[in-house]
Amino acid sequence: MMASSYSAKEEDGHHSGAPGHGGNGGVKSKKPDNTAFKQQRLPAWQPILTAGTVLPAFFVIGLLFIPIGIGLYVTSNNIKEFEIDYTGVETTSPCYNCAQNFSWNSTALCSCSVPFTLEQPFESNVFMYYGLSNFYQNHRRYVKSRDDSQLNGDKSSLKNPSKECEPYRTSDGLPIAPCGAIANSLFNDTLDLYYIDSNDTKTPIPLVKKGIAWWTDKHVKFRNPSGSSNNLTAAFQGTAKPVNWRKAVYELDPSDSDNNGFINEDFIVWMRTAALPTFRKLYRIIQKKPNMAPTLPSGKYVLEVTYNYPVRSFEGRKRVILSTISWMGGKNPFLGIAYITVGSVCFFLGVVLLIIHHKYDNRNNNADIPN
Amino acid sequence: MTNQGPYLKDNVVRSFKYTPLTFLPLTLFEQFQRAANLYFLLTVVMQCVPVISSIPWYTNTIPLLVVLSTRGLKDLANDVVRRRSDSQINSRPCDVLLSQSFSTVQWKDLCVGDVLRIHKDQIIPADLLLLCSSEPQSLCYVETADIDGEINLKYRQALAATHAKLTSEPTDETLAAFDGIALCEEPNNRLYTFRGELRWQGQHLSLNNKHVLLRGTVLRNTDTAYGMAIYTGTDCKILRNGGKLRVKMTRIEKLLNNVVIGIVLSLLAVALLLAVGSGVFGSSVSPHNEVLSAQLVDGNPLYTAFLNFWSYVILLSPAMPMVLYITFEVLHLLHSLFIGWDIEMYWAQTDSPAQARSTSLNEELGQVRVRPMDLSWNPFASGGLPLSAPMLVERLRGQKCPITTQFFTALALCHTVMAEWKEGEWFYQATSPDEEALVGAARELGWVFLSRTRDSVTVCELGVTRQYQLLALLDFSSNRRRMSVLVREPEGGLKLFCKGADIVVLERLQRNCPYQESTERALECFAHACLRTLCVAVRSVPEASWEQWSKTLTVSVTMRTYDRDNLLEELYDDMERDLQLLGVTAIEDRLQEGVPETISMLRQAGLKIWVLTGDKKETAVNIGYSCKLLDPDTRLLEGQELRLAAEFDRTPEWGAKFMGLTRHCQSVLCCRVTPGQKADIVTLVRKHTRSVTMAIGDGANDVNMIKTAHIGVGLAGVEGSQAVQNADFSLAQFRFLQQLLFVHGRWSYRRIAIFLRYFLYKTCGFALVHIWFGFFNGFSAQSLYENWFIALYTTFYTAFPVQCLALFEQDVSSESSLKWPGLYKVGQHEELLNPRVLSATFLYIVYTSLVLFFIPYGVFYNSALDYQTMAVTVATAAMLCANLEIILITRYWTKLSIAAVCVSVVLFFICTRITHIPLLFQMSPTDYRFPGVSDKAFIDPVVWLTALLTAWTAALPSVTIFTLNIILTNANKHRVHSTSRQPMELRSKFIRGSSLHHSSYTLSQRREIGQPIMSGTSIRHTVPFVAERSCEGLNVLCHDFSSASSGSSLPRSSTPYRFAKLATGLRYEQQGALCNSVGWMPERVVVARFPVIDQRKSSQQNKEHVQTYHPPLPSVRETQTPGSGSLSESNDDNDSLPAGLRHLCKKI
Repeated sequence: MMASSYSAKEEDGHHSGAPGHGGNGGVKSKKPDNTAFKQQRLPAWQPILTAGTVLPAFFVIGLLFIPIGIGLYVTSNNIKEFEIDYTGVETTSPCYNCAQNFSWNSTALCSCSVPFTLEQPFESNVFMYYGLSNFYQNHRRYVKSRDDSQLNGDKSSLKNPSKECEPYRTSDGLPIAPCGAIANSLFNDTLDLYYIDSNDTKTPIPLVKKGIAWWTDKHVKFRNPSGSSNNLTAAFQGTAKPVNWRKAVYELDPSDSDNNGFINEDFIVWMRTAALPTFRKLYRIIQKKPNMAPTLPSGKYVLEVTYNYPVRSFEGRKRVILSTISWMGGKNPFLGIAYITVGSVCFFLGVVLLIIHHKYDNRNNNADIPN
Repeated sequence: MTNQGPYLKDNVVRSFKYTPLTFLPLTLFEQFQRAANLYFLLTVVMQCVPVISSIPWYTNTIPLLVVLSTRGLKDLANDVVRRRSDSQINSRPCDVLLSQSFSTVQWKDLCVGDVLRIHKDQIIPADLLLLCSSEPQSLCYVETADIDGEINLKYRQALAATHAKLTSEPTDETLAAFDGIALCEEPNNRLYTFRGELRWQGQHLSLNNKHVLLRGTVLRNTDTAYGMAIYTGTDCKILRNGGKLRVKMTRIEKLLNNVVIGIVLSLLAVALLLAVGSGVFGSSVSPHNEVLSAQLVDGNPLYTAFLNFWSYVILLSPAMPMVLYITFEVLHLLHSLFIGWDIEMYWAQTDSPAQARSTSLNEELGQVRVRPMDLSWNPFASGGLPLSAPMLVERLRGQKCPITTQFFTALALCHTVMAEWKEGEWFYQATSPDEEALVGAARELGWVFLSRTRDSVTVCELGVTRQYQLLALLDFSSNRRRMSVLVREPEGGLKLFCKGADIVVLERLQRNCPYQESTERALECFAHACLRTLCVAVRSVPEASWEQWSKTLTVSVTMRTYDRDNLLEELYDDMERDLQLLGVTAIEDRLQEGVPETISMLRQAGLKIWVLTGDKKETAVNIGYSCKLLDPDTRLLEGQELRLAAEFDRTPEWGAKFMGLTRHCQSVLCCRVTPGQKADIVTLVRKHTRSVTMAIGDGANDVNMIKTAHIGVGLAGVEGSQAVQNADFSLAQFRFLQQLLFVHGRWSYRRIAIFLRYFLYKTCGFALVHIWFGFFNGFSAQSLYENWFIALYTTFYTAFPVQCLALFEQDVSSESSLKWPGLYKVGQHEELLNPRVLSATFLYIVYTSLVLFFIPYGVFYNSALDYQTMAVTVATAAMLCANLEIILITRYWTKLSIAAVCVSVVLFFICTRITHIPLLFQMSPTDYRFPGVSDKAFIDPVVWLTALLTAWTAALPSVTIFTLNIILTNANKHRVHSTSRQPMELRSKFIRGSSLHHSSYTLSQRREIGQPIMSGTSIRHTVPFVAERSCEGLNVLCHDFSSASSGSSLPRSSTPYRFAKLATGLRYEQQGALCNSVGWMPERVVVARFPVIDQRKSSQQNKEHVQTYHPPLPSVRETQTPGSGSLSESNDDNDSLPAGLRHLCKKI
């Protein structure tokens, strides 16, 4: 139990007043006010902490953290995750050829198919991510290289982008929309997933491309110029496409006006920069089926990649991750392990301190007896 | 009249600094001279450069503006006060001669050449050439307390020529006709010299210091004086002198400054390393990555690295926030207010609360180790004369005992007091409170001293007014230890009245003097009662011997050699013999209430107490006993350390040796110290120890010391307000020192130390995260926090709890602080804030920043969570961590502290949500870059789990140490309590001396006063210091020592003890070791107390020590002449140290 003393030092009233000075009207006495604040006697709670009250905290925290950690670890382990590296570094890799002769400027499309097998079926909604490694999306100059006003549909910024966008501000005298390095380096591989059933038939798996961006991003942060997306081409009249892009911003998704231009969700997801050089971004969602069938049954699949995005120059990696999610999001074993570790350390410290306490207590008692 | 030139200054004083026009530039100029402010300004300027700006301009600009404006306003307020006091001074009235008559004008209207009339007790408005005064021979007396802090009167005398011509009536006309031309030297700051020439009526009269009345001095004991203004306004010597005010800085402040410099330098170094990293990254990684290579500025990695260096300097600058400085100052101010508010330190009798005049020294109060103080207590400090005995007066009237009558006549005649009739009462002005007391006592009993002129003294004896002709005044000197007056009675007889220390007077009595035995009994009795005694005696001088004596006197006075003093002494000695004892006086030197308790507490707290007093050794030792500075167990080491202060400048090794000696002592008592020497000793202590020194005193003579020490405390005593005005703290009572040191000082130190430690922890811990983040963003100076978080973190999210802590924290209550003075040692040993503690803090800071970064790193690595979510996560963790830490530190939870912690945490969430409102983003996309992030982050369990784990892990070492402390201190508590419960009451159970009486005749140390009083001998001494031989106590001592060393009959083991007894009339229970040496400076005695522990340890040694100690003592008993060296000839040791010191050093 926490032993404590509430030392309410009440003001000792007027009886300590100076003799002969109390209440004389004429001369104003310099006697300080006898208030709790000025006399530094504010009532205060001074917990009397003893080893008996503090030591249990270690065990409590330890006993709290370890189960949390175990829970997190188990939850994380229950998440099914499948990762395919399709960078094409190894010669055996299906995308080796594409990776070899590729640069931003090549116009020819290069495709490759990566077959893989899911040992276990994926229940519920499956999230499809693309992952990049060694890609410094958090580099300060890279992060700064955007114009939020332009992306928010501001007309003057559309025609006159911020200086932060340099050197991706203008192209051939025309302002770039969207300007800046982030937009310019938009991830532009196309990934398609096919299920190969027992009789080798390729069934395309429906990938939902909307609902992958944050609501605020989609509806507040990013807006097409002039507000309406009826005639995007007109709205972007007089702007140039980013240097590395194959098509203009108003051609990102011509089929869906709600997903075109600046409010294209792939674009929005890319523009939300990652925290660390190794990251993943949500690409598509595979909705669970209305019946009880697993979203992705176990079996053979093939990943069709339109290989556009060069990463080999900086020894980057490109991955596709299929993952179910739980309440804590994707797979994250680190958090569980960290909780278990810190909890154990607390527990261990508690034991050590307990031993010290006992030793000191004994010695002290022994020393006190002769007195 | 003198010429009026355009170059002459008017008499207006302008001590203010600013005018409305110059305020802004001047205050900015002043403030940016502080290195810290300049550093902050540079970071602000850099932030405005877009290429390197890693965080926006407002994060540092707003705090900087707050700092600058706060300071500026403070300066402005001070300046307004100065302006007011200036205008008050400038409008003081004074009388100026305007065409034949005097009229009153204001000070500021004075011009050089004006003739002024100064009345008694007026302050002199400008430097004046004294023309004449109402006193005979145009003497006038001035008090120079405001200039040099000396309260005794000094005399000035007009030129004989002006005196003769101008004092003929009527004065106004003669003065108006005065047409002399004064030629003066250029205005300068030398207060004690002046050279000039007066050309008047064809004469060239040379002028010197004695003819000048300085501005700021006060005319005393002179009705009116007339003078001509020679320097006005800023040309005045006192104004040329002022202005140099040493700013005192506390040790913590110095440490802080060093820490700040250290932090700034290491931040620069870290920024440099990160910039190198950025250069390496730019040249090895970026070129392969088309995305990143485009981000190289001008495609040049070197240039990019250079820019990144500055970006990192900006990014890391929140580690050294300027809020620290402003908070520090506000805390200082509040702590000093607390001192003034403390009702425990309020003295109702004089209606004076304590006052912290300097607001920045509070925590130093908690670290004092050495405390020189002045113990010259006014005998009647606690009330007026306690003498109103009508019974006694009646009996005196009734009985016509000639001895009693003469006794009081002697008291009324034999002194150097000035009398003054004011408000229907006689006021006596004396340089020694003892004299004042004796004259006052005589007055109360019917012998009223009325007035004195240079050659007469008027006394009203039981209603009969009699005028005595004053023939000679044999002045007091500290080795004569007596003074006499030679008067011619109205009846025509010649009488010599003498009063002096008992031992001196008793040996000059005629043989078979009546009552001698009973007198000695009375003396003994008084000595037991701790009274200061004097003997009064009389001698009838035959006319013939007087005539011859006066002739010789006239001859010797005109002699110019330094033998003159010896001759005079011999002459005086001739006259003061065959005395008839009249009686004994005893004066109680009452200490202020609570002094012994306070001193014994200070000693328990481990303070080294140095008593620096102008008193004689006996008085000092006696006071030392009565105020428990010394106790019977004290082993006394005495040495007459000579030329102490004067020589320490030239031979520093003496100072070092002396300090080495005193290091072993717990208390040091220095006697016969002049004000200047007091300051020198303080300087010496400051130089040779690392201790904080605190000087406490009440008189103007303590001002030097108070100004020199780390902390100066002034007692608002009866000796004037000089000490208070120059002090950092002023108290009404000595015992309030307990409260000031043990409560306020201790708390202040604790609060400030903890505050600084915590402040560095929270700011550095949060900023250093950027170093680790740098490794994962290509060293690009990317911030890990939202800009608003950086701006608000130090001000909103973490500031209030630490401010509450620094205001309210109390580890123990004020009662307990006073009960266990041992707790004070924490501050003396700098336990809460020293380099070791600071390095531990920095290790902890590094650990915290590592945890703050790497746990979130583990979570966010290869995850779909973005940068902004991570920013919010780390920010939450940092905020939680800072608040968790303060919860661990705080021991005293007032409602405000609890509220502050809650408010901080709540404010973080509110402000974060506010800055993440999408609406704000739409209004200004560049300032609010995080729309909707917290909405999403604060519902994400991963963010919460990460933040909580991070905060807890970061605080884990702190929690562990906290627990460890509890375990260990609980075990120690017993010990603390049992040691402090040891009986510390030091009872003086010694029996006062039997063979010799304690006496101390503390007349003025200087003879100056006596001289102008004397007719015919009003020539100033040419030698400022008088040769003073060793006092009688030590003479006796030396005699005994020599007999001991030659193997006298005294048993060896008891000799030291007896010597001590002989020397001072006090009984020491331990063997006292004494030695002496003689020189031309006033004697000083070092009485050192050894800690009790030392004694126990070295009791064996002590015995040995005593036995081997006797022989080396030189037997010295010679008359010393000025400049003839200090060491006795019998001493064959050529060591340059004074003998006393050398012997003491040898022993220790």
